Amino acid sequence: MKTFHARMRIGSAACSLAFLMLAACGGGSSSGGGLGSGDLLVGVLAPFSGADAGLGPAYYAACLAAAPAINNSGGVGGRQIKCQQFDTRGEPADAAPAASSMIAGNSNLMAVIGCTSDEASAVAPIVDKAHIPMFCMTGQSEFNKTNLKYFHRLVPADIYDAYAMVGWALYGPSPAPFHKAALVFGNDIGSQSFVEPATNAFTKLGGQVKNFPITLGASDYRTEVTQVIAYKPDVIFTEALGSAGTFLGEYKTLNGGTVTPFIGTSATIDPQWFKQVSDSIGVDNLVKNYGGVDLGYTFSGPAYTEFQTNLNAAASQFADAPKYKQRGSTLHLYDGIIMTALAMVATNSHDPTVYNSKIKEIANGTSGAMVVHTYKEGLDALKANKSIKFEGAGGANSFDDHNNSVAGYVLVKYDATGGEVKVKELTPDQTSKISQAGGI
Amino acid sequence: MSIFAAAFGFGLVSMSVIAVAAVGFTMQFGITNMINLAYGQVMISSAYVAYYINRAGVTIWVGMIAGAVFGAVFSFLLNRLVYAPFQRKGTSHIGMVIVSLAVSLMLANLLLPIVGYFSVSYQEHAGNLVRLGDIVVTNNQIAIILLSVALMLGIHALLRYTRLGKAMRATAANPTLARNCGIPTQRVIDMVWLITGALCGLAGVIAALNSDSFVIASGAGFLITALAAAVLGGAGQPYGAMIGAVIIGLITELSAAAWSPEYKEVVAFGVLVLVMVLRPQGLLAKRGALAAAG
Repeated sequence: MKTFHARMRIGSAACSLAFLMLAACGGGSSSGGGLGSGDLLVGVLAPFSGADAGLGPAYYAACLAAAPAINNSGGVGGRQIKCQQFDTRGEPADAAPAASSMIAGNSNLMAVIGCTSDEASAVAPIVDKAHIPMFCMTGQSEFNKTNLKYFHRLVPADIYDAYAMVGWALYGPSPAPFHKAALVFGNDIGSQSFVEPATNAFTKLGGQVKNFPITLGASDYRTEVTQVIAYKPDVIFTEALGSAGTFLGEYKTLNGGTVTPFIGTSATIDPQWFKQVSDSIGVDNLVKNYGGVDLGYTFSGPAYTEFQTNLNAAASQFADAPKYKQRGSTLHLYDGIIMTALAMVATNSHDPTVYNSKIKEIANGTSGAMVVHTYKEGLDALKANKSIKFEGAGGANSFDDHNNSVAGYVLVKYDATGGEVKVKELTPDQTSKISQAGGI
Repeated sequence: MSIFAAAFGFGLVSMSVIAVAAVGFTMQFGITNMINLAYGQVMISSAYVAYYINRAGVTIWVGMIAGAVFGAVFSFLLNRLVYAPFQRKGTSHIGMVIVSLAVSLMLANLLLPIVGYFSVSYQEHAGNLVRLGDIVVTNNQIAIILLSVALMLGIHALLRYTRLGKAMRATAANPTLARNCGIPTQRVIDMVWLITGALCGLAGVIAALNSDSFVIASGAGFLITALAAAVLGGAGQPYGAMIGAVIIGLITELSAAAWSPEYKEVVAFGVLVLVMVLRPQGLLAKRGALAAAG
């Protein structure tokens, strides 16, 4: 197998010659040498219909933005990136055949993005078996120590979100600290993965907590709201994607117009979530009572600037694309696609069994690696025979042995326009204390 | 606060919403012999019509009228342009069900790029809370209950005391005989689609108003609940649908209070299955105003 580093040892002249020869051959060798020819496809395997239909478009937008970032720099060895939606409907029963037909019908798949908690358990093994690198937007703990080699996760597991929420409740700005929490998450397996770590951590650190699972997508939650109000929490932990507007609107109504402070997961840092909830309880109530946890994006720098430019340009293909300019999942998946493309170039291979492991190396960097922020920077560095570390629009990544990338959390609020405002950062001591209390 | 009393109050609101939807659905079936699975999508489409009018600064109560008008006109056209041609060609009942399912899916997918994936809310204050002991409802919900009661009385009056109502019942009982007796059955069926379409549109707006926020996918949920109440009461029987709505609405909320809200729909549909086992024709089959079914 010819790797980039191996060619470095041969020398730059021989490397260039080999590169040109392999590229000219058009790939297809069993060893995976050469970048091949024809378009490359990024499969967006996610819910585009059903209760979580809001998730797929955010990921599709990531692909639409990443494609020109790569294509405008000559593509992957001249191959252009295309994006295609594969609708899982947010149901494992629909997701598995969608994944299978995506793989069977597209031999040019370079990566798969999406695979949310709705369907990750069903599709990740299928995609892994096909040896396609995937970037999944699931927080499920079952992937914390996964053995799936092609699985990558650029967002922390839900337990870290849960710990950060506990951190808000205990160490956040006034009116924190809170002592009695109601957990309001969907009753699906993905949403409930927040409950155990949050309960463990909060109770061991002196708080009281009770779980109030809700059925996402229901037309009303009045009985559930009445039960939560009767519990008299001083804080609510929630996510309830798609249903938070209904739940909190009814909470406000049945609680005499008052909203209890509520802390949302990182998924609630989202323009659509902001709109839904502000429509229901009013912007003032949302700004006053909401606290969220996020991964400390800077929303600045050359990587972000390019991301935003491409996202705006993607409006011609997908009108809503620019709305995702501050959505963490869109930023991360954008980075994932670019890292995959760089891995292909670095290994000079279109064979995923060759370039898959390179993704982690490019994300984490090796000793003396040059930090790059865009595909073009990465390409130039690779052409100059340099080792690279990619820090993209979503910031730096650090994959562990199970391809889970974990970053630090910040505590945030919304301003009246839906902008994210950082209010505090959890100290390492606080984070450690909560993690130990959570014990998972 | 007694959770059961509160749940009873919520049940009153739920059954009022379900009743409007279920009566429209069951009348449509009872008189036109059409199981219209696109009913839920017409409901949610009407809710969106009201939403856009409401966003323009018009009160939702006016939007509700617009939703009803949309529901009526759309249902009428749906029958004339899609269902009736298939029926004239002799398409079987199951074939018509599939046609309506196809219409439902097409409607949902046509709406999606227009209204988007995300939930929306009416810009309407829920109104003050009214407390009757432990029962807590808002002014809007009281208005919904009163509107539903008025509509049910109106339907009763229409079917019992008007020439159109009698013509509807005759058409439902035996369309050929009704036609031979000089009843313009085609016009009667047109009127049925307009009236039930208006009920469908109203039900969509009421359900969306009651729900605080709604999405395009809510249409499927609306249909299932309306269908359950209609079947429970006896397919094609408006009074049966009213009773079905009361049972589904109250059981859903009371079981949520007694057991777990997660299983409230399981309990409600469990009751539906039980009734179907004991009385497959439904509670009021052959005894309602439209005696054709059952």
